[in-house]
Amino acid sequence: MLAYIVRRLISIPFLLLGVASVSFLLSQMTKGDPLAALVPERMMSNPEIVEAVKAEWGLDKPLPVRYVRYLGNLIQGDLGTSFSTRRPVATDIAERLPATLELVIAAMIIGTALGLCLGLLSARFRGSAFDSLARIFALIGSSLPIFWSGLILLYLLSVRIALVPGTGRLPPRVQPPPTHTGLYTIDALIAGDISLFWQALAHLALPAFVLGWAVTGIITRLVRSSLIEGLGQDYARTARAKGAPERVVLIGHALPNAMIPLLTILGFTFAYLITGAVLTEAIFSWPGIGSYAVRAAASLDYPAIGGVTIVGSVAFLLANLLTDIAYAWANPRIKVH
Amino acid sequence: MKHFRLKKGLTALLLAGAAFNAAPVAAQNSDTLVIARSMDVNSLDPARAFCDTCQFYLTAVYETLVTLDADNKTLKPNLAESWDVNENFTEFTFHLKDATFADGSPVEASDVVWTFERLKNLKASPSFLMDGLTSAEAVDAKTVKFTVDAPNSEFLNKVSAPYTGIINAEVAEANGAIAGDTAAEADKSEPWFLANSAGSGPFMLASYSPEAELRLARNDSYWGTEPAFSEVVVTQIQDAVSQAQALETGQVDIAMQIDPDTAQSIRSGDVTTEVVPSYNFLYIGFIPGAKDMADVLTPEVRQALALAIDYDGMLDFTVGGNGAKQAAPIPNGFPGTAGLTPRAQDIEKAKQMLADAGQSDLKLVAGYPNDNVYGVDFNIMMQKVQQDFAAVGVELELKPLTWAVWRDELGAGEWPVTAIYYAPDYYGSGQYVAYFGMIDGFPWTNRASLGKGELVVNPAEADLYAKALASSGAASEEAYTEIGQAMMDDAIILPLVSPNLVLAYRNDIEGVRYSACCNLPLAEISRK
Repeated sequence: MLAYIVRRLISIPFLLLGVASVSFLLSQMTKGDPLAALVPERMMSNPEIVEAVKAEWGLDKPLPVRYVRYLGNLIQGDLGTSFSTRRPVATDIAERLPATLELVIAAMIIGTALGLCLGLLSARFRGSAFDSLARIFALIGSSLPIFWSGLILLYLLSVRIALVPGTGRLPPRVQPPPTHTGLYTIDALIAGDISLFWQALAHLALPAFVLGWAVTGIITRLVRSSLIEGLGQDYARTARAKGAPERVVLIGHALPNAMIPLLTILGFTFAYLITGAVLTEAIFSWPGIGSYAVRAAASLDYPAIGGVTIVGSVAFLLANLLTDIAYAWANPRIKVH
Repeated sequence: MKHFRLKKGLTALLLAGAAFNAAPVAAQNSDTLVIARSMDVNSLDPARAFCDTCQFYLTAVYETLVTLDADNKTLKPNLAESWDVNENFTEFTFHLKDATFADGSPVEASDVVWTFERLKNLKASPSFLMDGLTSAEAVDAKTVKFTVDAPNSEFLNKVSAPYTGIINAEVAEANGAIAGDTAAEADKSEPWFLANSAGSGPFMLASYSPEAELRLARNDSYWGTEPAFSEVVVTQIQDAVSQAQALETGQVDIAMQIDPDTAQSIRSGDVTTEVVPSYNFLYIGFIPGAKDMADVLTPEVRQALALAIDYDGMLDFTVGGNGAKQAAPIPNGFPGTAGLTPRAQDIEKAKQMLADAGQSDLKLVAGYPNDNVYGVDFNIMMQKVQQDFAAVGVELELKPLTWAVWRDELGAGEWPVTAIYYAPDYYGSGQYVAYFGMIDGFPWTNRASLGKGELVVNPAEADLYAKALASSGAASEEAYTEIGQAMMDDAIILPLVSPNLVLAYRNDIEGVRYSACCNLPLAEISRK
């Protein structure tokens, strides 16, 4: 097992180098003015400025030279400087990734907990009014566009009844806690500032719920159908025949079998949301990596595109690895080699 | 035991609820001013920055020699207490006040010279403000003299642009800034300016997190009148609706990008909204130099197309009537515009002119950025143009593009019609001639002609521009009126709408105003 994990971990840098190369070449081949983020529109017809900027950012060099230089820097851990923010891409990512992680982890906890409960109860009371309601709730969650549900919930819960605060990670007047993890809730606890912790949690609640609701939809349906399938299997019948109550059959027998597809979906969803929570980030003014990625792509910010691609790839590779390990844990018949 | 657990759980839940319900730190009596904005910062270095957010940041942190008064027309002293201009507008001498930088050192003529030389030599976006500068000389510690290569009565206005804010040369140099001839290659101070400031203004940069937050702290040793707030936070809120919500809940004190439509949806009695005219405008531009267009987009055809547009309808369509028509590509209220009359639609004349030109079944393509600027959606604006052109038999294909692709295709002459916008850098009409004038080598001449200057160059404009810059007052205004008329006759740039601006703020805030040079002067804002 340990050897397997080490082998997988060792392969990651090589895979990343491949991903970085493809991302570099694809972004360079994309149609568009690479100076979009570097020279304002009004100055783009000024040859003196254009030449000076090209020279400053190395864009006057041929593609192979830039590619070799990019890879050389990458191997040394230098992701380059963003055309838009004019700061090292690594600094930008270090600042924005924790915000996304905090949001996505909270959303995954809400989505998984809610999805599991609803799925379990739906399967247990199949065909009941609760089942129908849970399925409708799940359907709405997975089909409502986040830009709509987010804005409406923000309006109702924040503007109208002031149950939750507005956008952002903290009220603008409040200074963030000293950085340890970059996750404000955790950092506030580390700093021992309970009031700040509650404020950070309050700001996190609604965006995490909106994003988690979308996840709930997928998980509820998956858990429900897997459980219903399991309940009809021989092992469930045997358990019942041995006198096990339905609750035990459901949780003790059917649920572990439903975990395998669930783990796959959870791993994939988590990795996807690292760079894919763009709309939630935009609506809730959450300074995460998703909105950074979109801005980078739209303005052809090559170094930022490369950096975000690497983060996304690492998220997928690690999520896949963790999912594989979790498989073995969930089903001892599966062995990792 | 169970009962106890339940009670404990309920208490925890109630406590959590109370925390969630707690209003954000009360805005009232707060010493912090919070502004909602979708930030467009490209740099925080005065000599490299070029954006709307930069305008008010730089105004708060760095100070210019002269600045624009609240009437948005008159120049008033800032770091310079007085100035002298020679008769032919080629020499400008400024006498400095006894001001100090945030570190306590005096603002001296050498800092001014260093700042202007660096601005020129960096060859960055705002360097054009120093075009024509031949010498900058510190006459004594408090007197500085500039010489330009040709008469330029607008030089004083140029030095009111926030990008000319005076930098503490010693501090900046110690952090990698260079003013000499090698500045463009050797100056490595940009990262420093993203985290620090070196100005003499009422505020200092406290911290900056791109697209998240810009935090300013009061300059406690400010030499002038102390600003009311000890801290200003500009917080990133992307869209107008979210900005309005944040304003209604008291999360922010000012929302900078609320359009008139959204302003009407604000129900809270705690919010004030004022609609004021802006100096921003959106326009379409013709590119006769585009592929196969040299014989098609002739001056007559361009005039016909200009007559096809329903300008009143355009205002309703794009901003619900909350805007103004504009005659020439110089904003209403700027020198020379009083004598210009905006175009009116004349479909019959347009059809006749197109028929005379043999272009009755004309097909054109418009490439433009797929964006929403100053509350105007380019797609909606262009759909109205498409509809109006169709009324005279011209088919317009719309091609919304990302900015990067738009820029790429614009230079390649892929399409003959485009749409874009302009916001002033300072009060003065010369900047518009320098950009839109059909004068050889000028930006829009290059854009519209794509190397075939003879298609668009209007020699009269160069002479009129020189005349405007060599005079002041009424004579200069008259020249700008003539240039404005000539640019209308060129029919290369057709201003479509000058959208109004909404000033939206909490009722306990005062001193919010729109400035043509500086956007939002932060130091003038206070809490009642």
